[in-house]
Amino acid sequence: MDRVDLHVRIGSLELPTPILPASGCFGPELGALIDLDRLGALVTKTIFYEPRAGNPAHRLGETSAGMLNSVGIPSIGVERFIAETLPRYTRWAPPTIVSIGGLSVEEYWRLAERLADVPDIDALELNISCPNLEAGGHEIGADPAAVASVVSGVRSRTSLPLIVKLTPNVTSIVETAVAAERAGADALSAVNALLGMSADARGGIAPLGTVTGGLTGPAIKPIAQRAVHQVVHAVSIPVIGIGGIATIADVIEYLMIGATAVQVGSATFTHPDTMVRLTDELSAWLRERGHTATNEVRAKLATARVRHELASDAPRAAG
Amino acid sequence: MSVRLVPLPAPGERAEPVLELARVTANEEISPGAWRITLEAPRIAGSARPGQFAMLTVARRDESSPVLPRPMALYGWDADAGTVDVVYRVVGDGTRVLTTWRTGETMTTVGPLGRPFELEPTTGSILLLGRGIGICSLTGLASAARRDGIEVDAVISARVPEALIGSTDFTRIEVASLTEVTDAEGSSAVERLEPRLAALASASAGWDQVFVCGSERLMRLATELARETDAAVQVSIEARMACGLGFCHGCATGMVGAAEESPLVCVDGPVFGCTWDA
Repeated sequence: MDRVDLHVRIGSLELPTPILPASGCFGPELGALIDLDRLGALVTKTIFYEPRAGNPAHRLGETSAGMLNSVGIPSIGVERFIAETLPRYTRWAPPTIVSIGGLSVEEYWRLAERLADVPDIDALELNISCPNLEAGGHEIGADPAAVASVVSGVRSRTSLPLIVKLTPNVTSIVETAVAAERAGADALSAVNALLGMSADARGGIAPLGTVTGGLTGPAIKPIAQRAVHQVVHAVSIPVIGIGGIATIADVIEYLMIGATAVQVGSATFTHPDTMVRLTDELSAWLRERGHTATNEVRAKLATARVRHELASDAPRAAG
Repeated sequence: MSVRLVPLPAPGERAEPVLELARVTANEEISPGAWRITLEAPRIAGSARPGQFAMLTVARRDESSPVLPRPMALYGWDADAGTVDVVYRVVGDGTRVLTTWRTGETMTTVGPLGRPFELEPTTGSILLLGRGIGICSLTGLASAARRDGIEVDAVISARVPEALIGSTDFTRIEVASLTEVTDAEGSSAVERLEPRLAALASASAGWDQVFVCGSERLMRLATELARETDAAVQVSIEARMACGLGFCHGCATGMVGAAEESPLVCVDGPVFGCTWDA
């Protein structure tokens, strides 16, 4: 039987498979449970320049088909990250994508500069869903001008491929997507967690330490898919789909919508072998339909999508 | 006096956690609202230590919800049979779904996880203080201690007598004494428990170590006792978790003492040392 070629390209970055972890829902600790060499890439938890303690407990909650987190991205700071954490990622074969965050535009720039010449980093993913402490704590990613400033500043300081991870907590995700592309992003990933909260009718208190938190899991898939749909039509760079991916059908759907690759988040908590299982199932899915490569199929699926839209009378969301 | 939790000294070599697709061999209600599930998980059963836990995924293999697996104390394990037992109380949606699991189904299970209780080599006598479902992390310790010839006094507490877990198991492994107290009878109140503990302490000539789980009140009581008798206290605490392995950072204790983030219950605990500020 012919081997199926799963590899995809994200700008200059070559991924052995289109199935990779979402930042924050992955760590090298998973290597005790699954073969990390089978993943499309390894994506670090978001790091900051300085150490951060993260948010107070409770940091987790569960909702219908989803979960809430207010972890608050604790970080050991960039120097300890380079010395202690990074080698635990780069010892594996797949590319290492380092997720960077900042509480100001300049913090992203400083991080990019510090990481520019560190060996074995294959790409940066910019987590722009961080509060901008210089602009009243609003998400940096909600302001297209701030996004452009972050991305162009990072672009001028590193030659690493740049993936910009978009926040869904905006009125128009197309505006921030276009801002990121124009400022030099090589790819986009969409979407980060939706801002949510929960209340407890019995206790009369908010279960999360910070009251609000990020909603992830199957519950957000329709919103995430709508966002990816809008973004792939607005930009010409590759888009990585994220949001509620747990089954092979979810993966195929994102590819059909036009994503080049996908990131798996909460499903790794549910079943730690999800990414490996989906990779096996993607191979089987492609083989059963006579395909030999993800790319070839994605293009056909994209064509099918356009044909479907041209033929469809269904009302379409305003983009 | 304020009680402070501190991570135990870094553990020595310990088995890595594994992912097992574990067959359910039993899942039944053992007392009102409390269930015992038995899983075929030979690699977990073969390397588990007292006080460790496993992540049980409530969602079936082909399901994606409930999203979060449940951290559960290992109630007991049998390396020869390759099985682990978990006793759980039905408290919410996740544990309600857990009761629907039938014999023969396959459950995503990760373990053994976390730092175990540490019995000092010189320990000859211990006190266990457990309340409610927290008793479940002490049963394995009691068995291990008895195998080592250590004298065990066990005090178990619950809201009502039907909710006392593990009575028969503690009796079977021949603990030196088993004291059962409940809110319903008023016997769990600290002022009534204190004199009984004092009597136990003099009968056993004091304990080298005290182990607590399931109640902050019992933890404070144990720490006060420790201050008077020079026993070391270890406590196992609960937290919501997503990964159980240390990478999601969902279970930070909010404890003071670490350079940056506070310790994580999953990898720095769930067993911590107990100390106090005057």
